[in-house]
Amino acid sequence: MRMTLGRAALALVLATGSAPAFAQSGEITVWSWNVAASSLESTIEGFNAQYPDVKVTVQDLGNQQVFDRTLAGCAAGGAGLPDVLSIENHEAEIFWAQFPDCFTNLKELGYTEEIAAGFPDFKRVELEVGDVAYAMPWDSGPVVMFYRRDFYENAGVDPEEIKTWDDFIKAGKAVAEANPGVVMTRADFNGDTEWFRMLANEQGCGFFSSDGSEITVNQPACVAALETVKKMYDAGIITAADWDEKIQANTAGTVASQLYGGWYEGTIRSTSPDLAGKWGVYRMPSVTEDGPRAANLGGSSLAIANNSDNEEAAWAFVNYALGTNEGQVTMLREYGLVPSLLSALDDPYMQEPQPYWDGQKVWIDILGTLDQVVPSRGTPFFGDADGIMNAVQSQYLNDGFDSAQAAADDAANQIALVTGLPIAE
Amino acid sequence: MRMRTRAAYGFLAPYLLIFATFWVWPIIYSFYLSFLATRIQPWSFNPAVTWGRLVVDPAFLNALRNTLIILVIQVPVMIALATLLAVLLNSQLLKARGIMRFAFFAPVVVGEAAYAAVFRLMFNADFGVINKIIGSIGLPPVAWFGNPTAAMALIMMAVTWRWVGYNAIIILSGLQAIPQDVYEAATLDRVSKPRQFFFITLPLLRPIILFCVVLSIIGTMQLFAEPFLITNRGGPGQATETLGLFLYRQGFTVLNFGYASAVAYTIAALAILISLANLWLGRSAK
Repeated sequence: MRMTLGRAALALVLATGSAPAFAQSGEITVWSWNVAASSLESTIEGFNAQYPDVKVTVQDLGNQQVFDRTLAGCAAGGAGLPDVLSIENHEAEIFWAQFPDCFTNLKELGYTEEIAAGFPDFKRVELEVGDVAYAMPWDSGPVVMFYRRDFYENAGVDPEEIKTWDDFIKAGKAVAEANPGVVMTRADFNGDTEWFRMLANEQGCGFFSSDGSEITVNQPACVAALETVKKMYDAGIITAADWDEKIQANTAGTVASQLYGGWYEGTIRSTSPDLAGKWGVYRMPSVTEDGPRAANLGGSSLAIANNSDNEEAAWAFVNYALGTNEGQVTMLREYGLVPSLLSALDDPYMQEPQPYWDGQKVWIDILGTLDQVVPSRGTPFFGDADGIMNAVQSQYLNDGFDSAQAAADDAANQIALVTGLPIAE
Repeated sequence: MRMRTRAAYGFLAPYLLIFATFWVWPIIYSFYLSFLATRIQPWSFNPAVTWGRLVVDPAFLNALRNTLIILVIQVPVMIALATLLAVLLNSQLLKARGIMRFAFFAPVVVGEAAYAAVFRLMFNADFGVINKIIGSIGLPPVAWFGNPTAAMALIMMAVTWRWVGYNAIIILSGLQAIPQDVYEAATLDRVSKPRQFFFITLPLLRPIILFCVVLSIIGTMQLFAEPFLITNRGGPGQATETLGLFLYRQGFTVLNFGYASAVAYTIAALAILISLANLWLGRSAK
């Protein structure tokens, strides 16, 4: 807090002193986490080439800390908050609902409809409420299947042939047979609903309708997703593992595929450097032969605190880092942060074959699905719905329900009880 | 006299001020909050979505059930083990008693995060040493984090490991307060050692064991770190979610402050009720 006061005074001196009307100056602070923080830092150089008088400081607090301290800061009327805040998309609406005055309306700073249209709808839906844009989309997580080329080859499995989840199960059994000790894939069944959410999103379904007014978790597409997860679980091609255990399995060579958002590229590359050339990427299979094969998992956005002393400079930085190909591609190149800006796909870097991935042009393959992703609204009730689904999924996998429909109905009823929202017909 | 009281309160004032601001006020304020619908600004008076929800919320009932299961199974087992351990540690035959006492007390000193990480590694389904041992005697591996029953057993084992020595030390102090001549008289009357334990030691230890039970109940009602860290936030699928975890999730993940306040008051009331029942049971049996 004292820091901010000092900076405020400094900014005031600078503002009243020399700065011309449009050139931004002063200091801004950004809160972020891990690789995301590092990648923002990597854009400062390019930003300063255009705005030499703005000093940007990125503070890496860790993911949970950013959430907790933003919560505390907003509850305290904005005290102690930095100028720019990183917010995960699926948690975003909790903040807008609870603390609408904590954040600046970016549209008042120059976030025009034209700029906003450069991002896919599924990224914008959680960040804009009516005429107010609370945050700007940052990275995204187009879901793809990461796979071990050698394990698939040993089993004579061609990933191009895997079009449906049934194909995936068949391939999984072949892979396990040809590679003793290797399981087809892993999912965090004990603590997360990631697989259900990826498959449901692929099928065009989510916990809530895209306007956030109804519960849709027991709609046919979601039921199909849940059923598919259990089918794979029962077939034994998918076993439980959390984030760390998945990485351990990757490096130990006991897993043949991982389904995740595109940002997992950087994780595999940095945690299994010895396996260069052995990993590849293909599109996620679908429920039906010609069904949709795109989904999104994860991704964040940047917001500007309402009590920032330097909103214009903060906006200039946010707009440079997220709204330009230069900013977004820098973050991709340096840290594998997948852009959500659609025009980034036209950047020549996307066409470069990636040596770790055996020369595959993974970014085209990953980002090529971005415009097909269906919005899946987090709503202020994401935490409730996810917690409920987590318990229901666990029960369903352990044969606690007669059918996927019964499980999904139970989840929908529980979510309705907690949120007061109606269940869609 | 007046002056002296005033001076005393003057000296107490800084503390009382902090106590009032950070203890009394939040307690009162959260009671007020527990009647508000706090999901969306502006907050409005609607106890149906807090207190009303409490009685029908399956997730809350699940957390309550999990907590009570731990209470009913883990606390008696741990207190029994602690009593046994205390008697053994008190034995005249035991060598290096100081080291032994420290060894059993040591788990309390270990940080929660550190011991949780070690437990996670030991009970890892694929690479963990526990499953290796189970496998070496020909039994199938246990999915400690994936099977709801195994996960619950794991939490109980972890909590017991951590607190059994602590309780044993408290009971040990009670044991040493029992006058030696009572045992001498019993021995002269040819009362066997086991009968001495059940008819002399246990009755005389009653108040101290009761104290341990009440402490453990309060601890269990607040149980948080183990299911948060070891079974990954109460997993699998909330099978080990305790009241403490549920409260945290409502308050700080979902940001439903009103409901979280109602839950907090319920937990406190339950802890007081159960402890009172214990004290009453302990007294009436005398």
